[in-house]
Amino acid sequence: MKNAMGIELTTSDRTLVECYQSLVRVLRESSELAPFERRNALKAVAALWQVVNGLDLDPGNLYDIGA
Amino acid sequence: MKESPYWNPRHETMPRDQIEALQVRKLKNLVAWTQARVPWQAARLKAAGVTPDSINSLSDLRRLPMMTRDEWMQAQLEKPPYGPLLAAPEEVAIRYHLTSGTTGRIPLQVLDSMKDWEWIAEMWCYGFWGFGVRPADIVFFAFSYGTFVGFWGAHYACEKIGALVLPGGNMTTEARVKQIMSMKATVVCSTPTYALRMAQEAKAMGVDLAAGPVKRLILSGEPAGSIPATKRLIEAEWGAKAADTAGMTEVGTIMIFECARQPGGTHIIEDHYIEEVVDPVTGDPVGYGELGERLITSFGRGFIPVIRYRTRDMVVRVPANTCSCGRTFDIYEGGIRGRVDDMKLVRGTNVYPRAVESIVREYKEIDEFRIHLYTADGRQDEIEVLVEIPNVDGAQADRLLTSLARSLSEAHEGLRFGVKKVENGSLPRFELKAKRLQDDRIVIGTAGERRVTA
Repeated sequence: MKNAMGIELTTSDRTLVECYQSLVRVLRESSELAPFERRNALKAVAALWQVVNGLDLDPGNLYDIGA
Repeated sequence: MKESPYWNPRHETMPRDQIEALQVRKLKNLVAWTQARVPWQAARLKAAGVTPDSINSLSDLRRLPMMTRDEWMQAQLEKPPYGPLLAAPEEVAIRYHLTSGTTGRIPLQVLDSMKDWEWIAEMWCYGFWGFGVRPADIVFFAFSYGTFVGFWGAHYACEKIGALVLPGGNMTTEARVKQIMSMKATVVCSTPTYALRMAQEAKAMGVDLAAGPVKRLILSGEPAGSIPATKRLIEAEWGAKAADTAGMTEVGTIMIFECARQPGGTHIIEDHYIEEVVDPVTGDPVGYGELGERLITSFGRGFIPVIRYRTRDMVVRVPANTCSCGRTFDIYEGGIRGRVDDMKLVRGTNVYPRAVESIVREYKEIDEFRIHLYTADGRQDEIEVLVEIPNVDGAQADRLLTSLARSLSEAHEGLRFGVKKVENGSLPRFELKAKRLQDDRIVIGTAGERRVTA
């Protein structure tokens, strides 16, 4: 996996990015999350967005899922 | 693994050409987002003929329209409370803040989402980590925790770093000093003015701050954090290192910070902002080493896109290699030098409050001061500096006043300054941004800096 600068991410970087992507996907697709699940997942996404952004993957904005 | 001195090592040490490539890419994304989500901004960009695809280098930035605080305020007045500037529904916001109101007619009101709020803390992390704050630290915030954004982001940055946070809101100065000592705080965050105020209070309480636990002060809110004489005084009083930072409500957080090497200036967080320095009159760019007004473009808060915002802050930009820390982020030498509208014209001489403060602070005996402008005999501008000098009286006080008046005059083309000793405790003390200049001049019909009276 390369970032927008063309740099290959490390294994650890990739794991964090996949974690972020999984959380975004579940928040977008699942309507069955309990409040404690959705709101805590949003907090985690907001934090992981900083990682993905700092790794130059241009994550865009997340207002559509409430983050 | 050796601990990095940088919060984001790759970005903070990136070669300049890569920083610029990153900025161009983010600028294109920002323009695309803004055009799609903020019709008010989209119309301005369209009128300037700007599309994301037309941005290929940083020189294209100059084609984008500048935005002023007046335009922002007017937009808010026309469509209260936020103006037509929001790029996301209000319901997504988790935070509301407003400007401190030191400039302009009405405060600017802003919103942040969860992700934006986290980003705001992220920017402070660059500064705190860069100045050496670590998880083992105990950080005291001398801050009132209101709707002014102030140190809010810094508070969450310290939680993120893993430090122990002591939120010192709604406390007297005496209580704050006591808590700093009893909790063995290693870092204190405040305005420069309030750092000195706490030092005064500590002396009155018989507390030796310099022998205490505090190792670092993080200063913000006033240009004084980068005035060498003020900084030296703060560092001496506290027996600690002091770092300057500066931020603004319009972007929600800091955009510059001083690193542990203390190069006499503040690094620009260039992977999250584009900072330009321009002539405040013509808007033309000025080069390294020249005084100009900073413009900011922020890639952070998506809720309210900020593109080429005129800050009215005066700065001198110098290359990153002025500092030995290894960062490739350029530096504002001397931090924020003042405001475009700070300057006062007194009998034909320019007077900047920051310059006056830098001289006054050379006199350690002076606890507090005020710059007072007034009209003598209904026709002539006069300037005087009122000072509190506790424990100094008689001939010694007279010598100090004479010396200060001479120093001020010599630094201002011979302009005559009155210098008066006033009663101890009679001048106002400040917790947030200090307002030490009082302009009581009476001049009929002069627009701008002077008060117009009938």
